[in-house]
Amino acid sequence: MKFFENQFTYDYSFPAVSLAYFLRYPNPYSQHVLTTDVIDRYVDPATQRLHTIRLHLKKSKIPSGILKLLPKGMGGSDSSGQSYILEKTIVDAREGWMETESRNMEWTGILSVVEKQLYKRLQSEDGRLALDGLAADKNAEQTSVKTTVTFRSRLGQGKMLAKRRQDTGEHEEEEPRKGFFSSLSTAGIQRTIELIGVSRTKEAVLKSKQGMNIVLERLRSGGVVAVLDGMRQDREAAFGRDGPWKRVWLQGKDRPIDNDKS
Amino acid sequence: MAASIAPECNDIKEKYDTCFLKWYSEKYLRGNTSSNDCEELFKKYKGCLNKVLKERGIDVMVEDARKSGSSETDAEFLKKS
Repeated sequence: MKFFENQFTYDYSFPAVSLAYFLRYPNPYSQHVLTTDVIDRYVDPATQRLHTIRLHLKKSKIPSGILKLLPKGMGGSDSSGQSYILEKTIVDAREGWMETESRNMEWTGILSVVEKQLYKRLQSEDGRLALDGLAADKNAEQTSVKTTVTFRSRLGQGKMLAKRRQDTGEHEEEEPRKGFFSSLSTAGIQRTIELIGVSRTKEAVLKSKQGMNIVLERLRSGGVVAVLDGMRQDREAAFGRDGPWKRVWLQGKDRPIDNDKS
Repeated sequence: MAASIAPECNDIKEKYDTCFLKWYSEKYLRGNTSSNDCEELFKKYKGCLNKVLKERGIDVMVEDARKSGSSETDAEFLKKS
């Protein structure tokens, strides 16, 4: 297992940041995100917390470094495609925090990626905001976010390969493709896959931050209306007026793992 | 607004999303957490979406993923190996 951690502070209030989180697609940095749907949403009557479950469809590829390590045919003949991401969110508006968790739903045997974020309202040090409520000093309103991403490869372990052996009638574990990596142990291969995941995530986390900042800037300058106007433009720039679904339906069935979490 | 995975649900999704944003920013974030403004629109949107998820076999995958928190997955994994 490998971890990636990042701590960051937005110069925006917690309500704005949480709103931007729900509104973050599309933005100019999210052109790999094809669709977003709300699967479930409710306020827990006991805690007054808002629970949301969303399904995102993203364009993604298995990195060639990982493809090389997979048994033949496992990555599919073509490595371009889409992958589904499930996102769970809990907002507590009174206590000023939001918890998010996103995970890939396919290819979890090769690499399971779980991203967790904790957004928290930062109290201004001298309590000025609480006193005058005017927020004259905008910079006093801040929200911190801590991101933790966990990578776990189970390649070559457990159920998955056993099932595969049954399917193909083979009695031995298939070897990874020949080459430099063929000398690695199962643990070594898993570690390599996890490390490739980590390096791709560093970039994705930065892109996601840039996207959030654009949405936040639009919120600040013109409220929700400005965000929606910007979105329409981003969507047309990315997909044309027909929207993204044409591509979704035209593409093949292979949906490689998400490497581009944001 | 972000597009739906089901093109035929885009119109109702847009209506629901707009309702949610208004409710979230004007009511929920201001402490009116028990209001239920978008319930009807959400029901319609979900009805449209669930049909498509089922047709495409995504519903089962979503259910499985919803159930799996990281800790459960860990326990499951230890059992298997």
